Amino acid sequence: MERHLTAPGVRIRGLTVVYNTPSGELPAVSGVDLTLAPGTITGVVGESGSGKSTLALSMLNAVQPPGRISAGSVEIDGLGDVVRLRGEELRRTRGRKVGYVFQAAQNSLNPLKTIGAQLLDLGRSHDVGDLRALVRDARELLGRMGMDGARVLDSRQHELSGGMRQRVGIMFALVLDARVVVLDEPTTALDMITQATILRIIREVHDERALTTLVITHDVGAVAEVADDLAVMYGGRVVEHGPVAEVLGAPEHPYTRGLIRAIPRLSGDLGLARALPGRPPTLGTLPAAGCVFRERCESSLDLCRTAEPVPAARAGRTVACHLPGPHAVPVKRKEYA
Amino acid sequence: MTRATANRAGALARRVAGHVARGLVMIWLVATISFVIIREIPGDPVLAMYESMLQKGMSPDQAERATAVLYGFLPKGSLWEQYTGYMGSLLHFDLGRSLSTPGVEVTSLIGSAASWTVLPVLAGTLLSFLLGVTMGVYAAVRRSGRLGDLLALSGSLLHGVPVYVIGLLLTAIFATLWPILPSGGPVDVEFTPGLNAGYLGSLVRHAVLPVVTYTLASYGGWILAMKSNVVTVLGDDFILAAELRGLRRGIVFRYLARNAILPLFTILALSIGMLFGGSIFIEEIFNYPGLGLLLVNSISSRDYALMGGTFLVITIGIVVANIVADLLYSVIDPRVRSGGTA
Ligand SMILES: Nc1ncnc2c1ncn2[C@@H]1O[C@H](COP(=O)(O)OP(=O)(O)O)[C@@H](O)[C@H]1O
Ligand SMILES: [Mg+2]
Repeated sequence: MERHLTAPGVRIRGLTVVYNTPSGELPAVSGVDLTLAPGTITGVVGESGSGKSTLALSMLNAVQPPGRISAGSVEIDGLGDVVRLRGEELRRTRGRKVGYVFQAAQNSLNPLKTIGAQLLDLGRSHDVGDLRALVRDARELLGRMGMDGARVLDSRQHELSGGMRQRVGIMFALVLDARVVVLDEPTTALDMITQATILRIIREVHDERALTTLVITHDVGAVAEVADDLAVMYGGRVVEHGPVAEVLGAPEHPYTRGLIRAIPRLSGDLGLARALPGRPPTLGTLPAAGCVFRERCESSLDLCRTAEPVPAARAGRTVACHLPGPHAVPVKRKEYA
Repeated sequence: MTRATANRAGALARRVAGHVARGLVMIWLVATISFVIIREIPGDPVLAMYESMLQKGMSPDQAERATAVLYGFLPKGSLWEQYTGYMGSLLHFDLGRSLSTPGVEVTSLIGSAASWTVLPVLAGTLLSFLLGVTMGVYAAVRRSGRLGDLLALSGSLLHGVPVYVIGLLLTAIFATLWPILPSGGPVDVEFTPGLNAGYLGSLVRHAVLPVVTYTLASYGGWILAMKSNVVTVLGDDFILAAELRGLRRGIVFRYLARNAILPLFTILALSIGMLFGGSIFIEEIFNYPGLGLLLVNSISSRDYALMGGTFLVITIGIVVANIVADLLYSVIDPRVRSGGTA
């Protein structure tokens, strides 16, 4: 198959997503700006509840009630603003233009149908002319992920293990050759070794097909190996975003530092690994004014209680923090908006 | 592949065998209980019958045989002899003879009653199932709209109304206030039974009210069950996943409907089994000569042989329905078919 090797860029601007709760509509994602450079893999990390899945669903305009996108845009090259898409146009975008691996990919299959039958449903839904070729591609993808493709296509969900189902979910996201791929915790049901293998395969396919990929994970260590860029989310904000080596090698935001310190593999010393103090915020406990992280921050200022820090370029990345950073290096790339 | 298939077939056969065994035990229990009732009821009907035969001038031998024919076992002898005699005749499908309709075999009474029960109630069950399931899907999908609310409400209301109230209301409206339908009986007597328009038309006209009553009575249960199943499946991850993959609405709807309706098939098979006895109220109201009415009449006329036989047939109906329900579920649900539990 001939592939035109220009990956689309993705520009998220001012994105705010609110959930309707008993105490009114509360933002799970607040005014997020995030640019995915064409052809890159961007990792998104952050504790559970920081708004990662909500952000990911927004990229397909698929935030589920009681949530809704209340402001902002998600511009994808060649598609326009996804937030404005409706009906049939939106349906054709999902799956075909933007591939999505569901957070609970183990449960993303119809229990009554074989994987192969569901693959054909997918092909027919998107008017794929050559269904035989689609099946061949699916088999090949499954084979690359270490499974017997023909057998998997003949199986139903209950005949597959959690890890196998998750890989089937990844296959569904890649098989239609979507150029933008969003993976929400794609490897949680897998053991460490398979996890590394799958991420490597995602990287390979990404490079071969010139994709623009967003990978969400709460495993900072795993994402370090595959991502080009890293976005750190906290309380519905992207608090730090930049090249993965720089963000992990010299974190600017105190939250990023805390996350890294909590991981033995990255902090380099088992004895030094230290869990982040306090609890991740929920929609109801987020402070209404000031910095959302201030209550858990080791060095918060008076200013942090009153003014919300605006993301600003510094040290080759964007950081949303009032504290003067430890690494005063001028910005090298300017796409970290 | 072949070994897996063989294993599956084996597992299925074992399950069915288990059901059959349990069913046979149940049938045996009911038979034994009806034997005990006939034999041990105060005033021992069997012995009383024997003695009245003697008084009518029969020889003891004749009286004994006559009683045996009526009840399926000898009036005298040890309990064990009587019991084995009774069970032996059951095995030959001999349920004895009716007292209230003298001389007629219980099996033939049950046979003709069953045909009056099965067709109308079967029609009512299937009609209410189709109607309830369709409306249930609609009520679930449109559960925030006016019509969806209304449908669900109609389900809850009808579900709470006892079947005889529905039956009496319908009779009051369509047979008394606005007499367009017969109020009772199975068919008008002026027609000769057979495949002629008059007879069949009368048959259908008499069946309308019982069938509609049955449909309305069980429709509420179906719509509520289907609505709640659809709402549950709508919340399942695979439906959202299917939407995120951009599957056509029609396909997503099929995923939804098939998964939601599956558990209802089992209930359907079971309720078809229950229909053998479950129509007592309807048959009484409409004076419809089915199994329910037969059972009621046999109890009020103390026709113990008929009563025991009717009970037995109702039990067999339920046992068979259980087996069919299980088989059906195995055929349509692949998770059960392969013996998996995940
Ligand atoms: N359906 C919902 N109703 C109300 N709140 C929700 C809903 N889904 C998510 N949230 C809230 O939104 C916030 C972000 O959730 P989510 O995007 O799932 O975070 P993450 O993927 O980072 O764990 C959390 O505080 C969560 O409780
Ligand atoms: Mg999540």
